[in-house]
Amino acid sequence: MAARTLPIKKRGFSFEVFMWAFTRFTVIAMYGLILAGIIGALIASARTGANFADILYWSFFPNLAESPLGKNFGMIILAKLMVIAFVLVVCGHGVHGVLEIWDDYVTSESGRRWARYIVISYAVAASLAAMYIIWIA
Amino acid sequence: MGLKRDVSLSSALGYKGQGPYLTYILHRIGGSALFIFFTVYILSLVGVDSMQALMSNWIFQIIVLVFGLFHAINGLRITILDLSPKLIEHFRTAINIEWVAYVLVAGFAVFVVLQNAMGG
Repeated sequence: MAARTLPIKKRGFSFEVFMWAFTRFTVIAMYGLILAGIIGALIASARTGANFADILYWSFFPNLAESPLGKNFGMIILAKLMVIAFVLVVCGHGVHGVLEIWDDYVTSESGRRWARYIVISYAVAASLAAMYIIWIA
Repeated sequence: MGLKRDVSLSSALGYKGQGPYLTYILHRIGGSALFIFFTVYILSLVGVDSMQALMSNWIFQIIVLVFGLFHAINGLRITILDLSPKLIEHFRTAINIEWVAYVLVAGFAVFVVLQNAMGG
């Protein structure tokens, strides 16, 4: 089968094209953050002698777990920033995914428009709540 | 859109789309599972006790891992093929490699969760 590609210039610039590119870039960012997180957690677990899973738990649930990493100010700020960045890219990626599934089952213009309002509003609200809790924990 | 469908449920379930169709459907199920997980994660961060209990439930963990890992690995294949269109010719091989990687990673993840659940 011959490969079929459409040059970027001919794709135009609509909401769908923007979201397609956004979805691809956010997923690449996610893989990068996962890799950086795993390497960081391995280094931290080697230095502290803590369990690898515990390090991840302290990072992703900073308000639920007493983290011994708090003694190292730089490390805890970096962990918070990385988890916040991860939550944001997950949210951005998820918005498009949910809308794509929704668009397959609801074909009316108003239904699709309302789905966009609801899903994007939910994503913004959930991101803000997560950012606030992770930062103040 | 009306509720009438041209394809019955039994016909839809019997659709022989083979490997690519299976990955397409599983990718959607995985995405939906991760969306639910994301909501549970936010609520547990906020401090909802029931959501924190759900997060530590091993059955919930297995369901999220099995579908979530498929979504992540299949997404990696889609991204690679999307960014390197010349590889699309080998998409069936890519799907086979994906299944091998998925079985190994998901198998290990489920093993660890079960080991923890049984107090190992």
